[in-house]
Amino acid sequence: MPATDNQGSFLNRISIRRNQVVSMDGNHEQELEDLELFQKHVADRFADLLSQSEDTLGDGLLSISWLRKLLDVFLCCEAEYKAILLLGRDPSQISKPPLDKLVPEFHDRVVKALDVCNAVSHAVETVRNYQKLAEIAVTALEQRPIGDGQVRRAKKALNSLMILLEEKEGSNHKSTERAWSFGRRSTNATTSSSKDRATSASQFRSLSWSMSRGWSAAKQIQAMSSNLVAPRGGESSSPALPVYIMSTITVFVMWALVAAIPCQERNGLLTHFPVSKQLGWAQSIIALQEKIAEEWKKKKEKNRLAGLLEETQRIEKLGVSLIEFADSFQFPPDADRLEEVAVQVAELGETCKKMEEGLLPLQQQIREVFHRVVRSRTEVLDLLDQGGKATASIM
Amino acid sequence: MADFSSVLSPREGEIHVIAAAQHIVKALGANKNLDDDLRKILSQLDSHLSAMTLLTTESRGTGFREVEEQLKYAEEKIRSWESNQFLLWDSDESDPLEASEFLKAIDEIQALNEGLRSLSVNGNGKQKELLNRADSILQMAMSRLEKEIIHILVKHKQYFQPKNMSFRSCGMDVLYDESFVSVEDIPSEEALQRNSSGKESDNYIFDLVHPHVIPHLKSIANVMFGVNYDQEFCQAFISVRRDALEEYLVILKVEKFSIEDVLKMEWSSLNYEIQKWVRAMNIIIRYLASEKQLCDQILGDYGFVNPLCFVEISKGSLAHLLNFGEAIAMGTHEPEKLFRLLDMYEVVADNLLDIDALFSEEAGTAVRLEFHELLRSLGDCGRATFLKFGNAIAANASTRPFFGGGIHPLTKYVMNYIKTLTTYCNTLNVLLKDQEAADPNPVVEPENGQGVSSITHCQMACHFRSITATLESNLDSKSKLYKDGVLQHIFLMNNFHYMVRKVKFSELRLFFGDEWIKEHIVKYKQRAMSYERATWNSVLSFLKDGDGPGLCSASKAIRGFTIAFEEVYKNQTGWSIPDPELREDLQISTSQKVIHAYRSFMGRKSSSISEKYIRHSPDDLQNYILDLFNGSPRILQSSRKK
Repeated sequence: MPATDNQGSFLNRISIRRNQVVSMDGNHEQELEDLELFQKHVADRFADLLSQSEDTLGDGLLSISWLRKLLDVFLCCEAEYKAILLLGRDPSQISKPPLDKLVPEFHDRVVKALDVCNAVSHAVETVRNYQKLAEIAVTALEQRPIGDGQVRRAKKALNSLMILLEEKEGSNHKSTERAWSFGRRSTNATTSSSKDRATSASQFRSLSWSMSRGWSAAKQIQAMSSNLVAPRGGESSSPALPVYIMSTITVFVMWALVAAIPCQERNGLLTHFPVSKQLGWAQSIIALQEKIAEEWKKKKEKNRLAGLLEETQRIEKLGVSLIEFADSFQFPPDADRLEEVAVQVAELGETCKKMEEGLLPLQQQIREVFHRVVRSRTEVLDLLDQGGKATASIM
Repeated sequence: MADFSSVLSPREGEIHVIAAAQHIVKALGANKNLDDDLRKILSQLDSHLSAMTLLTTESRGTGFREVEEQLKYAEEKIRSWESNQFLLWDSDESDPLEASEFLKAIDEIQALNEGLRSLSVNGNGKQKELLNRADSILQMAMSRLEKEIIHILVKHKQYFQPKNMSFRSCGMDVLYDESFVSVEDIPSEEALQRNSSGKESDNYIFDLVHPHVIPHLKSIANVMFGVNYDQEFCQAFISVRRDALEEYLVILKVEKFSIEDVLKMEWSSLNYEIQKWVRAMNIIIRYLASEKQLCDQILGDYGFVNPLCFVEISKGSLAHLLNFGEAIAMGTHEPEKLFRLLDMYEVVADNLLDIDALFSEEAGTAVRLEFHELLRSLGDCGRATFLKFGNAIAANASTRPFFGGGIHPLTKYVMNYIKTLTTYCNTLNVLLKDQEAADPNPVVEPENGQGVSSITHCQMACHFRSITATLESNLDSKSKLYKDGVLQHIFLMNNFHYMVRKVKFSELRLFFGDEWIKEHIVKYKQRAMSYERATWNSVLSFLKDGDGPGLCSASKAIRGFTIAFEEVYKNQTGWSIPDPELREDLQISTSQKVIHAYRSFMGRKSSSISEKYIRHSPDDLQNYILDLFNGSPRILQSSRKK
């Protein structure tokens, strides 16, 4: 992708120029220029994301493909940030103000972000379960001729899907064997009692949360953004700025992931975190944030929090409509109604295909972000370690 | 979107069937004996035929009626089971015959279904209605089977019990403490235990589901896959097995921690969690081999579905284990963590081949790569921790001299630490080799001599010698803190002696080599000699001075000697030589030197010395010398009163 090429040449330029520059003043000037460029790149990349979010063909805001682009942007920004922070910089500078305070704070955020990555990556499995249930419905309803058998099969899967989607935050208890012990009860497949629905859904619900008890994605995001303050005055051109930019990006990306994918404990997820409106590079981030927050509020009113992922929402909408169809189905089917349904089934199938193609790569990409962030943190800590030793030996 | 056309017209279909049948007749004519497989296939064909002949008879009307009869019969069977209180494959209450009857009924419906479908769908309404009924009954049966699989899998689940299930935390640890007070010699137990808790060599495969239900599960899979209900089958199978694995992690006491939790955790808890993790990792990999077998048994016939299901089952639980490992590798590099880090590295390295084999298919690529990544992270962290250990020794500074000149805790700590490391020799060598490739200034010593054991020249041996060299120079600075120069000798002698003993009587011998041992024996012996000279030459010089003529000088010499001896006694009884043998050696050689000189002086001068100046007999002195270096200061007061 173009952003990556961009980033490669940028890194080269930084390292070459830094090597050429000898005097401190020149170095400082160079730094300002690099910083300027970094802000421009950040602004451009998020502007791209903003324009893609308008897509109406299903790849818009919070779709799988949009999230994957968002993660790409994150990786590019991260590489550039690291270059600005580390290349050509005397390591001892990191242990002096203002970086001595800002870098550890950033690392604090990073560790929280890693946990968010894990929670989200695990939650992608839940979304894959939505997909699998929807796929069963598609398989059943694509069959011709269509009859009671197919409709009931689809309805069973869709009912399970609805139960999964309706699950309230934090109500996801680990299913135990008790959940399976339906066997002593006579079940009549033609009447779909709520008990039956719960039973068939339980097998899909069995994924337990990934994190330790009490861990909350909402709280992590809150904690990550709580001490996020834009550098003021003289600090605004210093290395404090890239740390702030990267922190904001990190918080935004993690927040968007949590909003999109139903991970552990999202009760009270922030709908807004402070980003100063005056900053040029932040305009698109602010716009995106507002759009997502709007979506979140809408969903919350409906008390449906399965996640804002575009594909999830589509599945939900189509699922509700297809359950209506199933409830009113009578053999022989009405040809017009069948045609209507066929369109919906095709759309559901299309959405499932997108999920099939996109969810695992998304999960992989989250893992890539994870490893990248870990490595960068290690690099900075190693540098600090060496810097500390160098200072100690001087003294 | 009304796509109701069937693929083959009935006419075409018939032609194909006739051609195939003729082929079969011809083939059977050539062969008089039927083997089992062939017989099975033919009898299946027979049951298909009994359902289908009706449809191909000329009168469609009567055909449908008979199909309807059959359908009704099968439907009744399935409905009667549907309302049954008991599950079909419940070994306690159900009749195995019933289960096979049920499957047979499904087969029949499926055959009717296919038959109906093979007719043109544009046929009459009766056919459509029959097809609808067949599909509906089939759906009912499948829904029932889905529950049956879950029930069988849950009810006949078996826990994996490897022979080595017991878990005991090895609390003994080489602790790095600012004050170094907690250091004691670690029993070799840790090393022993490490090996015994290691990977068992046998490839122990366990039945995770009771073997007698495997054929049931397989026949259900066959039926469900046969009528395209494979998605339902896989979902049910995966979810039960995934839960079983998660439950097993709970049994193994693997807890879930966020990375933040791990990074903030106290070392003692972390140490415990790591040990549980290492054990769990060993067991889980073997568990997964059994899980893989189960998947193969049930899904082996369905191609890529099999590895896909296996990965789905194991992925989530492995993610927990992987994340804990990554979190540990992100931690700080305190020396005490090294052993646990190496334990973790080893358990991943030891199991890596198995992991690669388990996840060799494309579906498992991500899992496989994650383990390789984890191995790298743990290796990096282990290496950094080891190198930091060397730095920590160099940086350990004292402001006050160590009491009594005994063995400094740092010496004990370092020697016990590296002694424990010898059990990790191969692993550390691999890690250090990796580093040397990248490091422009590696710790390499020139090869000296041939026929020396190769261990003496491995990476780790070089690092060990460099570590002890750092220790020696640190001890040297520590010895400078003593105001009394003589005590410096005792301090260094004690510490060098301790190092030599540790090396000589352990595996370290192989790493340091005889040359090193010899050199260091010389070092502490030199310190002993220096001690003797520095202490006793001046004391004995009184006696030499007293060799002049006259009563006065001899008495004065004895008095001077006595005072000097008592001074030494007062000082050096407080000094410490913890090793009894070393202490005895030094006392004996001191005795020989001092008592000999004293006795001969007395012999020569007894006549010219006034009685009152002789406070101690040679035998007394000999006993007094035995009081030296015991670490409790004493004064020769009683003798002064004489």
